[in-house]
Amino acid sequence: MTLDLPSNREEAWRWADIGGIAAAAVLAPIARPDASFLDLPGAKLLFVDGVLDDAASDLHRVRVGDLTPGTHALGKRATKGWSLHLDEQAVAHPVQVVHIATGGDNHVAAEIVLAADTSAQVVETFVGAGWSNRNTRITLGKAARLMRAVRMTQGGGFVSIRDEAELGEGASLVATTLAAGDQGVRIDAAITLAGEGGYAEYGGALLTRDRLKQECAVRVRHAEPNGQSHQLWRAVAADQSQASLAAAVEVARHAQKTDGEQSLRGLLLHRTATVNLKPELEIFADDVKCAHGATVGELDARALFYMESRGIPAPRAKALLTEAFVADALDRIADETVREAFAADADAWLESAL
Amino acid sequence: MLQIENLHAEIDGKEILKGLSLEVNAGEIHAIMGPNGAGKSTLGYVLGGRPGYEVTAGSITFNGEDLLEKEPHERAAAGVFLGFQYPVEIPGVSNVQFLRESLNAQRAQRGEKPLSGAEFLKLARAQADALGLQHDMLKRPVNVGFSGGEKKRNEMVQMGIIDPAFAILDETDSGLDIDALRIVGDGINRIMRRPDKAVLLITHYQRLLDYVQPDRVHVLADGRITRSGGPELALQLEREGYVGVGAEVAA
Repeated sequence: MTLDLPSNREEAWRWADIGGIAAAAVLAPIARPDASFLDLPGAKLLFVDGVLDDAASDLHRVRVGDLTPGTHALGKRATKGWSLHLDEQAVAHPVQVVHIATGGDNHVAAEIVLAADTSAQVVETFVGAGWSNRNTRITLGKAARLMRAVRMTQGGGFVSIRDEAELGEGASLVATTLAAGDQGVRIDAAITLAGEGGYAEYGGALLTRDRLKQECAVRVRHAEPNGQSHQLWRAVAADQSQASLAAAVEVARHAQKTDGEQSLRGLLLHRTATVNLKPELEIFADDVKCAHGATVGELDARALFYMESRGIPAPRAKALLTEAFVADALDRIADETVREAFAADADAWLESAL
Repeated sequence: MLQIENLHAEIDGKEILKGLSLEVNAGEIHAIMGPNGAGKSTLGYVLGGRPGYEVTAGSITFNGEDLLEKEPHERAAAGVFLGFQYPVEIPGVSNVQFLRESLNAQRAQRGEKPLSGAEFLKLARAQADALGLQHDMLKRPVNVGFSGGEKKRNEMVQMGIIDPAFAILDETDSGLDIDALRIVGDGINRIMRRPDKAVLLITHYQRLLDYVQPDRVHVLADGRITRSGGPELALQLEREGYVGVGAEVAA
């Protein structure tokens, strides 16, 4: 099979693990792993290798069918999937989507369209092995709110997501992604604050080990004044793995009073690991506030000894310090059930990696 | 309780302790005094097992066991507590979580049941009250944003919760005003002055010893104990300085 994939020579794909995608796409079939939904009301969708398992799903307001593919290099492969459309004043329960991969490649598209003053919560979970590729288009009307949480816990292969979001006046998008499995990852997003006073949080945590490569490549565009955006990413890299965080903020000429924040931090658990950080600011307006920080470090040896001297064994002390490092990103998840499930995944990963 | 014999230790190949011997019995409080650079803090870190401090000769026996064989967390479970001169800030980990993990890890190593959240909080609040530390500071990240005095008080709260058999307190008096010094001194007496416990106070000045009366005072100079005596030795040091008792550091 020949795959038409982007090249690392293109700047936007500089740290992408193209070889990892190609290898994941030809992974041999595995037995279907167990996966369960969180204890939340609302829609539950189970996709197995990109195909809805009707018997295990409960669609509520969600529809499944053909969707218009986009133009993104990976995302365009997805032509079928699920969609959530909320009309004005509609109240919706959360939507949970579990993606199981059993080898090979699978592609699912999604469309979330929220009319004015509506709000929705979407939680997605990836398990199994193979190349799972997703393309999600998000349109938020005036003052609409979307809370999105994605966890990637595949045992092997690759997960790539492409999110394209357009936020209307006063709309809010809070998206948190956790990569805590043994898969390669690309989180690719283009968020546009197209109305005045939009609010976007797009962040998460990448936990990498062995020889895996994980990355985020996110671009937030402030097209109108008084918008706020926060990109808070934490990367933890063990062994010979590589985690890369590329976050860009673009402020259009008349998008005055924009408040854009980027916080990119990497933690190396071993000296053989790599963390790449690329904060990018393109500001054309003159009255904006854009704070950005980018740091890479190791666990604090003094703090480790302090904890050990109080009786905490070294692996647990390392896990506690690393959990604290990652918690900044996961604390952005508002729903307690979801936040605790994500934190438990991160803790489990840390306990096994340390 | 603690026997140190002919201890030699180095950091980065530089010898700091050069044949130190010391014996501390249960029920005793010993003070180690000495000029800067004599190796006082090194002794504390070697006892605690800090990485980078290499023991090249000698032995440390604690309650009949070889302390040097043990990892730092095992030393803690065996009953050794190291109070830090500079307590470390740990952002993102609350005092409560840190101390509960610490205590329960020690209890697990000793084959004891872990304390529940409620049991632990009761214990922690009582110790905080005894040392005049506000309850909300228990919820804050470990030592983050604490003043120098609050950090030292927090060390004593930790000691009260952990209730060790043997405490090494490294310059616990530094950075304390006179009121805090009294509170911390009272804390040491309350928690540690028992027939089955012992304390090694590492200090540069006499002032903490006004509140915590030592049974024995040792002068540490150039990596060895050069003089030992009763509480009067500390007063003599205060009066005459380290030079007066022949404890200046060789240049």
